[in-house]
Amino acid sequence: MSVELMQSAVEGTVASGRLLECRNITKSYNGPIVLDNVDFSMKRGEIHSLVGENGAGKSTLIKIVTGVTNRNSGDMIFEGKAIGIEHSKVASQELGIAVIYQELSLIHGMTVAQNLFLTKEPRMSALPFIDIRKMNSLAQELIERYGFRLRATDIIDDLSIGQRQTVEILKALNSKASLIIMDEPTSSLTSTESAQLFSIIRRLKDEGIGVLYISHRMEEVYDLSDRVTVLRDGHKVAVLEKEQIHPAEIIRLMIGRNLDERDTLHEMRRNDREVVLDVRNISAEDKFTDISFQLHAGEILGIGGLVGSGRTEVVRALYGIDPLNSGSVVYLGKPWKPHVSGSIRSGFGFVPEERRLQGIMGAISITGNIGITNLDVVRKYGFVSDKKELELARKAIGLLNIKPDDPVVPVGNLSGGNQQKVVVGKWLIRDLKLLIVDEPTVGIDIGAKEEMYQTFERLSAAGVSILLVSSDLPELIGISHRILVLRKGRIIKEFAEGKVTEEDVLRASSGLIEGDGK
Amino acid sequence: MPIATLRRLILIGLFLVIGAVLAIVSPTFLKLDNLMTLLQEASQTGIVAIGFTLVLITAGIDMSIGAVIAVTAMVCVNFLSYTHIPAWIFIPLSLGTGCLVGLFNGYFITRFKLPEFIVTLASRGILAGVALLIAVKDADGFISNVYIQDPVYLGFGGTVGPVYIVTIAFVVLAFITQFFLKRTRVGTNIYATGANPTAARLSGINTKHSIYFVYMFSGFCASLAAIFLSARMMTAMPEFGIGSEMDVIAAVVIGGTPFTGGVGDIWGTVIGTLFLALIKNGILKLGISPYIQPIAIGGIIVVVVVIDVWYKAFAEKLAKKAGNRRKRSDEAEVAVAS
Repeated sequence: MSVELMQSAVEGTVASGRLLECRNITKSYNGPIVLDNVDFSMKRGEIHSLVGENGAGKSTLIKIVTGVTNRNSGDMIFEGKAIGIEHSKVASQELGIAVIYQELSLIHGMTVAQNLFLTKEPRMSALPFIDIRKMNSLAQELIERYGFRLRATDIIDDLSIGQRQTVEILKALNSKASLIIMDEPTSSLTSTESAQLFSIIRRLKDEGIGVLYISHRMEEVYDLSDRVTVLRDGHKVAVLEKEQIHPAEIIRLMIGRNLDERDTLHEMRRNDREVVLDVRNISAEDKFTDISFQLHAGEILGIGGLVGSGRTEVVRALYGIDPLNSGSVVYLGKPWKPHVSGSIRSGFGFVPEERRLQGIMGAISITGNIGITNLDVVRKYGFVSDKKELELARKAIGLLNIKPDDPVVPVGNLSGGNQQKVVVGKWLIRDLKLLIVDEPTVGIDIGAKEEMYQTFERLSAAGVSILLVSSDLPELIGISHRILVLRKGRIIKEFAEGKVTEEDVLRASSGLIEGDGK
Repeated sequence: MPIATLRRLILIGLFLVIGAVLAIVSPTFLKLDNLMTLLQEASQTGIVAIGFTLVLITAGIDMSIGAVIAVTAMVCVNFLSYTHIPAWIFIPLSLGTGCLVGLFNGYFITRFKLPEFIVTLASRGILAGVALLIAVKDADGFISNVYIQDPVYLGFGGTVGPVYIVTIAFVVLAFITQFFLKRTRVGTNIYATGANPTAARLSGINTKHSIYFVYMFSGFCASLAAIFLSARMMTAMPEFGIGSEMDVIAAVVIGGTPFTGGVGDIWGTVIGTLFLALIKNGILKLGISPYIQPIAIGGIIVVVVVIDVWYKAFAEKLAKKAGNRRKRSDEAEVAVAS
């Protein structure tokens, strides 16, 4: 853009009360385009929601605005100032852009006042020492101006998550932020705390501060927003004005219009074979309540729901990682108390959600990664037999087409897809009856994804039951034979037969459908 | 009452009980001489422990402190033996030794992002060797004992009334450091660096500066302790201070500064230092074998840390329960409202 054009754009922004103006933002991370010519704008004193499925490009857009990552092209104007391609976190803070992070960024062990005034502590007039009394009274003034229930001298560690979030918001206000970005702020709040947060957000709006709100919870988006921008696959799909905002419409836009084309794939199938796992009214404190279902031989049972709905917690408990508080489980016709080593001996396999953290040991070879869960198989005279271990690794490499096919390569050097194949592979060489997979295809390429699905199909055909947890709706619907949707730790809906669309699942996850569960 | 305060009161209570028992059992314990010696020994460890506390607050560790003591002592005797520079000039210069070591540690920790333990352990090795290398030797190349006769230097080992100067220095240093930590921006930045380095950087704190500062200060404190130690001993040996990390770490840990960073203060370390000195003195007064000392200190560290961890888990459980209660009442409220 030429200087004159840029100048006129800048003036236009100021005149129209625009706070932030992004035009034609494009971003790709070494290859795939994550954001493709996206326009996004915010007015002063506006609550603007940004919605989209996982991978739609929401977080990338936020990262670009806050300077965590740089865009490839496009213009960004904030409060009349053009922001260059080389942007940084510190620069965005100085401009007045603040982010309330999901993992809070407060300093533990310090008081509310110390956190609010970090690096800006008021000092005595004559000496370079911090004037604690003045700092506390300034902080208290700020707290009271917004009517929060906090004391300046409270230690952060003693506050609830909701209170900590208000401290973060105060910190943003104290640094004169004019745009506050909130990314899933209610995910760990109680309902009262959420209600308090919403009144704070409206208060911010009245003060002329722009709030960029990101949430999967449609009812919140509906209640709060002045406008909604919908992203899908890196494109801006729509900007909805206040009167156009309706939860069902937003979901329809998030998923796209080509529903018919995909629908044909998603026929649920009944499975009348014997029951492998019979879960009866299991509960775990703070995680999930009263979960019951039966899993049949060869069945792929999908578990859907939003992040934090208890999906992962249920499968972790069934595998025996976390304890159950009540309820019972019957496995292969016998009462079953889940515990990890017993699960492995009895034919369970488990592919955890965070591959790098929980799935692989990056510095160790393919052989080592596979051997460690199969020590009972690779044993000879009570010691690990290198030969047997290597045999096993070769078998897994052959079964799943792991590349490179050299069993001594450290797993950390493999691509994401091949790493995941190792994690799956170590179970396939066992006598497997039930495989639990949690987000099995996050961060892996399309080819590996397809192979993964084929593997699941093969296992299912061979009579292995699969519990599949996934946020990827096409995946969940595409390969599951039956789907349970969890919401707030309970089964809210079961899709057992007929056609299922992404919209159905998303609506159930958001609580927009009356569940036939309790 | 905050956990830290409660913990401190318990420690002081325990200190008084042990003191009272010793006063009854040992007739010489309450003698002024013994008490002053106890304080003198506590101060010797305490000065180093103050510097070490700052390092721990940034979630680091400094293994080089003992060797800094040795090298500083050797630097001093070199000045004494080979120059005519008066003590009031070379002593402040020698204090720079520790600062230099701290600068070295800080550089490798911040520039190459190396683990603090490895960097300072390497410094410890290097410095222990340097101390032997630069020690004053006789004609046959054997390390000779230099007797310190300089009155200014010896003055550091002396007393004001019954109180050793090192004790006065310890108290003054403790006050200044505590004030510095709590009432200056640099002090606040040190806490922030240890508690949450990412958040600290986002708030505009130069965490590298904080790290440089604490290692240099830790080195300075160790050098200061070296002057007092050699002055009282009236000589200096290249083994001075080697292995003293044990006592320093024990004092700080007993004082309640955790290894996880972001928490702790000088008062805790002062109490920990006194507690440790009392235990050592008590073992002596009760006529128990002095070889028991390190065993007792090691044992106390384990007990204290176990109690700390146990208590922390207990406190978190309590907090969680309180949270759940609130959550449930919240949900009930909502249910009633709808």
